[in-house]
Formats: sequence, structure tokens, C-alpha cells
Amino acid sequence: MTAQALQTPVVAPLSRREFLYYIWGASMTLFMAQMGGAILWFSFPRFKEGEFGGIITVPVTDIPAADSGPKDLPDARVWLVNLGAGRLSDPRQPADYPVQTGVKALYKICVHLGCLYKWAPANDRFECPCHGSKYLASGSRVDGPARRNLDAFPIEFVDADGKVLASSAPTGAAGVNENAALEVPKGAVALRINTAFRVEGASNTLPGGGL
Amino acid sequence: MALFKLHVPILDDIKTKGWRSALVATVDQTVERITAGINVGEIRSILRGDAPQRPNPRVKPHADGFWMHMRPTFFHEQVMSLYPTFRLGWLTTYMLVFETITGLFLMLWYTPSPDIAYTNMLSLLSNVPFGLFMRDLHRLGAELMVMLVLLHMLRTFVTGSYKKPRQFTWFTGGVLLLLTLFLSFSGYLLPWDQLALWAVTIGASMAEATPVVGREVNLLVRGGADIGANGLLRFYLLHVFALPLIAFIFVGVHYYKVIIHGHSLPPGAEKVGEDTARKVPMERRMYFLPDVMTRELFWTVGWLALMVFMVTWGGWHAPLEPHADSQITPLHTTAPWYFLWLQGMLKLGDKVFFGVILPGILSGLLFVMPYLEVGPSRRYADRRVGLSIAALTVVIMSLLTFMGTPYYGVSSSPDQEVLTTLAPQTHPGLLRGTAYDELPVGDWVASGWNNAPSQGLQAVLQLYNKEIERYSDELVNAKGKMSITEIQAGLKQVTMQLEWEDNGAQASEPVIVYLHRDSGYEH
Repeated sequence: MTAQALQTPVVAPLSRREFLYYIWGASMTLFMAQMGGAILWFSFPRFKEGEFGGIITVPVTDIPAADSGPKDLPDARVWLVNLGAGRLSDPRQPADYPVQTGVKALYKICVHLGCLYKWAPANDRFECPCHGSKYLASGSRVDGPARRNLDAFPIEFVDADGKVLASSAPTGAAGVNENAALEVPKGAVALRINTAFRVEGASNTLPGGGL
Repeated sequence: MALFKLHVPILDDIKTKGWRSALVATVDQTVERITAGINVGEIRSILRGDAPQRPNPRVKPHADGFWMHMRPTFFHEQVMSLYPTFRLGWLTTYMLVFETITGLFLMLWYTPSPDIAYTNMLSLLSNVPFGLFMRDLHRLGAELMVMLVLLHMLRTFVTGSYKKPRQFTWFTGGVLLLLTLFLSFSGYLLPWDQLALWAVTIGASMAEATPVVGREVNLLVRGGADIGANGLLRFYLLHVFALPLIAFIFVGVHYYKVIIHGHSLPPGAEKVGEDTARKVPMERRMYFLPDVMTRELFWTVGWLALMVFMVTWGGWHAPLEPHADSQITPLHTTAPWYFLWLQGMLKLGDKVFFGVILPGILSGLLFVMPYLEVGPSRRYADRRVGLSIAALTVVIMSLLTFMGTPYYGVSSSPDQEVLTTLAPQTHPGLLRGTAYDELPVGDWVASGWNNAPSQGLQAVLQLYNKEIERYSDELVNAKGKMSITEIQAGLKQVTMQLEWEDNGAQASEPVIVYLHRDSGYEH
């Protein structure tokens, strides 16, 4: 009886061999994860200063006159708009997104699916040729399948010595995470557009624009 | 002990049997080695149409050879007619091989760089013998392959062939569907024309809508902030290397499952809940060699003939638009036709929900469908709900596809719409397609199309007028102007401008089209 009981193999909850297999497996998994991370890092595109993706400097003379059509800056992928008093009183402007006078650097890519929207002078607004999204010069969406206002880049004005005179800051309006337009300060000679940090337009989903 | 022993059997044979017999025996043995078990006599017996001996010597290559081990030894004679398979799976496999071969040849004349890719296309079309032919076949093959995969999936659903024990075969088929779509889509970018750039930009932006990782995925795929040299290279590598490799591996898995489970019989041919595909009685077997193989070759040849006919006498040609321009999005850009349903959904609302979450859930359900739908019967009468859902899905997908086209819900300003109809940015259109001599120099207006001096100009002006009338609500008292000048011998400039009234006189931006005597758009 006792001898028989002794012969029954005792199954340990985890043998040394099994444990070592798990440890080995875990270390291989960790190694593969590290390799995966390295490969991802390896594959990401590189951005250089002065090219799109870095800071792009343009002279203030490139800024269009207040309330005129926007200016195309192909290198910065930007439509430069100068909002004047006329834009403030535009009846099409949705009330949810307050407009200030001044300069904005709107990213040229439609926030719907990445097409290039164009300025349509006949309708005094931006229109996207792919799926028909429409935006005002202020960047507010007024029609179409896009679901937010246009994205914009942070901007700052510098004087001849390179001193920063003014830089863009959030509007402060509730629920609108957009930068306010920036007035050209006295003595500014250049506008610096930081294309590395895109500020997404505020959510805008109603027909005709609005939260 | 000899270090090695050399034995040339034919020399012994010559000694014992003489030249002629020795040679015949050697050829016979060599053929048997190459075919993994079938000698010359058996080949001739196959070609004569003799019934196989018992035991059948023609099953040997399936056990011993590499190529035949991927195909079943015999089929049930009931799956050998057109119904129930319609040969869709086989033709899809053929298309994958066909695309690999034509693709390899096209690579001879292609460099994945924005500087030269489009020039390569022009050279391929105008300078390389059979270049147009090869490109057309490759592109047509890609479109047909997507169609065949979709039809194959629909057929598998309708005949209930996804049911137990073939659930995993369906799952790998889903993977192959995705791979086919991405293979076709990644090839879109390579010609580096406007269609390529903007269709892919739209596709990549859909990926950007993915929550959390969207921006990173987009950067990885595009290789930059927008699609440029890096993006082209990445799509090229996906198209010619990574995706085909994965596709061939999954075709292997898919085919292996077919050998394991056999081809499912027509739904009415067996009892409910039974699967007799592997238990075929001797008298109902159709052996792969030679009958199944002959039929498959016949279908292959017929299909190839159809494709060749389409790209020659049929006049089907792979599109090529103007050189890619990252600063101009053509009006009415669309995704490829098999993604139009997605584009249609995107017009319904939020792109995260309609572009990523909903399609993600739907395709996820498609993959695991056989594990959820476990009704035992494959008969049509027992599957009214499932078949109705399939029919409804086809209708909804067609509707969404229509909604994805520019005919639904895209509107730019009416003047742009009118002028773009005459001079489209995505294809030549009516104006460019009119013969050079049919466009007389002078100033013309759309409403006076009746009085135009040539038939070609009449047709152009009539379309112009029709388009203006279509938007008569917005374009009040519109006047469509068209002035044609010959700016040098053999080169005409056509300037079009719309004038209308809307709180005072309005005028569109002029649209200018240049036409050369030898442009050849009319062909």
C-alpha cells in the first residue's frame, strides 16, 4: 500500500523545465517587441528645420491686405489669411467660433480626407474638390462632410533683431480649442510659421456650421 | 573501400538491351522522376483518354510531388459543372499568378521615383513594344481579381460553404480579400499621375482617422507629411514585395484547407448536417489527372483570351491622368471603385465612425461570421434570413458605391461644375475629345450652339448650354463664353468663362485648355 502510493508520480504545479521555457519565451517576446519598436522608429519619416515640418519664416510683405483673398504659401502648405472687420460681420460665420481680426496660417489640407481645398473667389470661401467641404476665410466649416474647422499652425511675429513681438494663443472661447488670429504688431518684419505643431480645428458638425 | 562509386545505368542498359531500348528506358525514367510518378506510357494513356488502372497510378504525383500535393486527388463529379463553384476561386488564383508575371515584366521599365515614374509610363506606352498591352493586362487583371474575389466570397456565402468544418477556410479567404484590395490599391500610386496621388491621399487620410494611432500610421504609410518620394517607394515595396509574399502564404493556407475538407457539394446533394465531400464513392470520383486539370486549363485559357480581347478589340485601357501635382486636387477625385462604398459612407458623417469604426466592425463580423452563424443546414429553403441579409448587403453596397461617386452630394460652385464637365481634370472629356479641325477659331456662346459651323463644336456648345441650364437657379442669366484661337500652327487655345448675375455681374475664373493637332485625345 505504502509502496504503491510512493510510486504515484507527484505532479509539481510548475516544473523547473516548464518555468525556464516560460522565462525564455518571455525574454524572446520582449526582444521581439524591442525589435518591433526599433523597426517602427527606423521607419518614421524625418523632418528637417526650414522644410515643411519645421519652422518656416516669411516676410510680412507676404501677408495679404485685410479682408482680401488668402495668400497661397506652397512651401509651408499654408493659406495665409488676414481677417479684417469685413470678416467679423460675415453673416455666414457660425456664432460658435468667435472671429478676431488678424492673421491666421491655415493648413492647406482639407480636414475631411486630405485633399487640397481651393479658394473660390466667386463664393468667397474655401471649397474642397473631392467631397465638397466648404470653409470661410476664418477657417470655420460651413458645409460638407468635414467634421471640424480647418487646422492651423502656430505663428509668431519677429522684428529685425529676431525678437518675438507676438505669438498666437488659444481663443479662450468655451469648447473651441483653436488659436486666435494674430494682429501684425508694429515693427514686425517677419512671420514665423511652426509647421511641426498643427492645431486641430474645433469640432464642427452641424449643417451650416456650429458645434 | 572505394571513396565513391559512379554508376551510369544507361551504360549497362546499352550493353544488355542495345541503343534504342536503353534510350527509351532512360527517357521514361527521367519523365517519371520529373512528374513524380507518371511515365511516358501513362502520359500517352492519359492523352488517349483511357480509363485509369486500379489502383490508379495517376494519384502518385499527389503523394510524392510538390506541385500536385497542393491539389486534391479527386473531386466529386457534382462540383465539376459550372454550378456550384463557377470556377471563381481557381480564376482568382490564376489572376494572382498572372499579376505576378505581368508585374515582374512591368518592373523592367519602372523606377519608383517621382522624378521619373511618370516618364516611365509614357515611355512604356509609346516606346516599348507591347508596353501598352502589358500595362493594360496588368491593370485589367487587378480589377478583375478584385471582382473575382468578391464574387467568390458571395458564392461561398450563398451555397453555405463557409459552414462547419470550413469556417477557417472562410477566415483565410477574408484575409485574402483584404490583401487583394491592398495589393490593387498600392498599385494605384505607382504611375504617379493625378489619379494615383489623390486616390491614395484620400485612402491614407482614411487611415489617419483611426483613433490614437491614426497620425502615426499615416506617417508610416506616407513616409512624410504628404505623399512624395518616400511614400512612392513605400507603396512600391508593399506592392511588389510585402503584400504578394503574404498573399502567396495565405493562398497556401487556403488551398491546404480545401485539400483537408474537400469541395463542398451543392447544398441539396447531401443530408442536412452531413459533410460527405471527402467520402466520394468510386463511381462518382473525377480524378485531378487528367480531367480536373484539363478543365482548369481550359478556363484559364478562355479567361486569358477574354482579357486579351478586352484590351485589344474591346478598347479597354488602363487610365493615365496628367502628372501628379501635389498642389492641385482635381475636381471630383474619387477612391478606386472598390472603396467607393467607403467614400459613400464618409459622406454620411463623422469620418472616425463612418470611415474607421463602422467598416472595422463590419469587416470584423465578416471574418468571424462562420463561427457565429452556426445553423446546420446549407439548403436555400432553410436559410431565408441569411440569404436575405446577403441580398440586402449587395443592394446597400451598390447604393453606397453610387453615393461615393461625384454624382451624389459633392458640389463645388456651379460655375466650376459647368466648366469642369467640359474640361474635366480627371479624364479628357468631350472638348478635348473633339477633332482639332472641328473647333473653328472665333468667339462662341453656349446658347448659340445651333448656329455653330461644325458638328463637333455644336456638340460641345450644346453640352455647355445643357450644363448651364442645369444650374439655372444659381446661375441667373448666365452666358457661357468660349473663345478659340490658334496661338501657333497646330496649337489652339480654348478659353471658357461664365458670366452671370448674382447681386451684380459675376464672372468665373477663366478655364484654359490647350489642344494640339496631334494630341490624339479623340482616339
